[in-house]
Amino acid sequence: MHLTLSYDRGTLILAGLNQSGLPPDLHGEPWQWDSRSLCWRCDAIHYLQAQGQLASAGLEVRDTVPRFGNVRWGTINLPELWEHQNRALDAWMNLGSGLVVLPTGAGKTEVALAIMARTAISTLIVAPVRDLMYQWHQRILRGLNHDAGIIGDNIYNLKPVSVTTYDSAYIHMDKLGDYFGLIVFDECHHLPGRLRREAAVMSAAPLRLGLTATPQRSDGRHANLDRLIGPKVYEMPLSKAKGGTLADYEVVRIPVHLEPEERVRYDALSVEVRGFMYGRRQEKPEYSWEDLCAETGKDPAARKAQKAYFAKQAIEDRAKEKLRVLEDIFRLHEGSRVIVFVGSNAMARDVSLRFLVPCIISQTKKPERRDVLEGFAEGIYPAIAANQVLDEGVDVPKAKVGVVLGGKSSSRQAIQRLGRLLRKKGREKAVLYEVVCEETKEVARSRARRRSDAYQGARYRRI
Amino acid sequence: MLTRAHGIAVYERGRILPDRLTTVRHGHYMNYAGRMLGVYRNGLGQTRQALHKQVKAIFAEEDDCPTRRIEAFCKLLDDESEFIRDPKGKAARLRRQVFRLAAPCHPLVRQADRLFERTEEETKAHIARELGIDWAEIQAMFFSDMMEFHCLRKFKGYADGAALLSRYNVAQVQVALYSATEMVIRAEQDFKTILRHAKLAGLLHRIKRIRLELYEIRLDGPASMLRQTRRYGVFMAGFLPKLIACAGWSMRARLLTPRKGYQVTLTLSPEDGLSSHLDSPHEFDSGVEEAFTAKWGDQPREGWRLIREGEVLHKGQKVFVPDFVFEHEDGRRVPMEVVGFWTDEYLREKVKTLRAFREQNIILAVGQAGAKRISGLPPDTIYYKSALKIKDVLERLTNA
Repeated sequence: MHLTLSYDRGTLILAGLNQSGLPPDLHGEPWQWDSRSLCWRCDAIHYLQAQGQLASAGLEVRDTVPRFGNVRWGTINLPELWEHQNRALDAWMNLGSGLVVLPTGAGKTEVALAIMARTAISTLIVAPVRDLMYQWHQRILRGLNHDAGIIGDNIYNLKPVSVTTYDSAYIHMDKLGDYFGLIVFDECHHLPGRLRREAAVMSAAPLRLGLTATPQRSDGRHANLDRLIGPKVYEMPLSKAKGGTLADYEVVRIPVHLEPEERVRYDALSVEVRGFMYGRRQEKPEYSWEDLCAETGKDPAARKAQKAYFAKQAIEDRAKEKLRVLEDIFRLHEGSRVIVFVGSNAMARDVSLRFLVPCIISQTKKPERRDVLEGFAEGIYPAIAANQVLDEGVDVPKAKVGVVLGGKSSSRQAIQRLGRLLRKKGREKAVLYEVVCEETKEVARSRARRRSDAYQGARYRRI
Repeated sequence: MLTRAHGIAVYERGRILPDRLTTVRHGHYMNYAGRMLGVYRNGLGQTRQALHKQVKAIFAEEDDCPTRRIEAFCKLLDDESEFIRDPKGKAARLRRQVFRLAAPCHPLVRQADRLFERTEEETKAHIARELGIDWAEIQAMFFSDMMEFHCLRKFKGYADGAALLSRYNVAQVQVALYSATEMVIRAEQDFKTILRHAKLAGLLHRIKRIRLELYEIRLDGPASMLRQTRRYGVFMAGFLPKLIACAGWSMRARLLTPRKGYQVTLTLSPEDGLSSHLDSPHEFDSGVEEAFTAKWGDQPREGWRLIREGEVLHKGQKVFVPDFVFEHEDGRRVPMEVVGFWTDEYLREKVKTLRAFREQNIILAVGQAGAKRISGLPPDTIYYKSALKIKDVLERLTNA
């Protein structure tokens, strides 16, 4: 009997057995008979388990799955690990798969690089955004002296060590799943989404590492991380990190008011939206925003109300006073690097054009991003404005002052935004300003943000 | 193609009805479509933002038009346009220069005082002098590389308003298909085209014969049998225009919805009147086949009726649709494959396929010119010069 185990676009195929020929050891999970291709099939994530099953059944199988192998690093140039990083490294090495939970700034990347140095096997790094993907590329080049391939940002350069984004991993994994022995999910709380999870399911990598500061998801799907990557092998809580490994920080909220003409328009728009909602709720008390959106196609009044709502948001987002407050913050912190988070591309451009400081939005191209971030790090640019894209993990060294001009609140975003400012450099304290429109939706969002765990213990001042 | 964010659909008793513009209910859209094309045809040199604004303005007074529909029109118009994207990074270079010149003056204040004396206005004037360009011009160029500010260079466009509207209708079905887990086609014709394009799209098939010349083709992807996934929906959407260009089919797809565990069905057939921007498949692969069909005629010869592409032979993922099937009055069916034009590789592939289906007793007719180049042809192969002779075929059928 000649059996072959092979990789087929995200799945494993066991060929050479007919429908009734599966030995008892292999019954049940994960194998299923595929009547289309006349073979047994399972998801690639079960590769390690399948190998074990076949061996214990005493079957002789030609295994054509792995296209991965050993990697030779260049001169390794990694910093000595902190104690907590060493613990994380050992815990992961014991198991060969699992999650390492460290707060932002506590050196997750170093742990991953140390693991890569030890395992020395074809590795794929999956990062949330393109900036981070490039950053990983740089870190691997510096630390392991290895030029990794890039898959994402319209580049497809597959190498035994490659970096990619979650979106590209989802799209391309059926072609890559047999190519890597180790797969690293950075900020792995992103993985359990309904689609993105397939990046883990379609990979045959036997070694798996998940890195995150906040494994919890509001939808409860974090439980899936256990199946997709492995159990939590190490965790350092945020409270332990604060003041110890990381700098102390302070949050200052600055309420702004709409200008008279903005106010007049804002109020008129509010009346319009409220009036519409009130009318609908007379007939249907549970009438919601979603219902309104669903009606926009048939009812011009709903469309007008929707338009009014978006116009309201735009007024909040681009309130003129925000730029005045920003000027004051720039004055106050002259000589310190300031990073400004904005809620829209339009506002990013407003800030950029008003103060002639660079902005980064999602469509900013790679060379410019690099120039801006490096220029900011070197002190050439005194400040930068960023829309969402820098929300996570992108190295913005030594930024001690952060300003949030609008934006949505959620526990994870708050932690990561603060993380930007928490990088330990000297004894200087970090400050985060939240500039929000008074008596508007944004105040409620700021309140929600304050309630989240990231702010617990942070000192809170109101000007 | 549109993205999921452009999708409009109504759910009705377990079915999904993608947004559809019909002459009955949306006759007045013809006028809108013409005006939209006008905006783009006359819009050379304008920014994407300005073009979209004009398209939106066309619908300002229209009661029946969701925002998504307008955005979808913009996307379809953009898809057929070329924009100046500043590939050399002129705008980025300008920004870099300006930011670096401005950095020593940070922060630019509105009004100078004893602490900060560099104002926004003065600094901008100073930079303009340094670069030798008016500030107004700098500002106009400053973000010209960003999506919203790309300028229209060329509009390839649609033939007319009707073409735009019919593309829109197909595109909405495609968006619905993004959520599909499985597509089932019942086909009476054009099997070859349907199966070839499904395969090109990367889909796997299961084929079932419902009755003579009616096949059910079930399409999904490798992982579909392991778990429910909509990963192959985008392939099905890509395949759809090809299917619509064919004749004699009906399609049913199963779709996931945002509501967990709730699925809906999408059905479609030529009766729905969608039209593809692709050509319908050529009826004949070669002139030899066409001439042979014409010569044979509609009436049976010696009891044999000629049917074009009447049979789908399949084994696992191997499929073969012979060019013809001869059906005898007594119920016997004999397939025939005509091989005219080829490369050696093509012919070798064909021989392999025929061997896989050898129990089907397929008649093979090969053009003489290149037959010598290849070995391993079955001994009873019919050779022809310029035209396939009816006499030769009938002789072979008698022995079948």
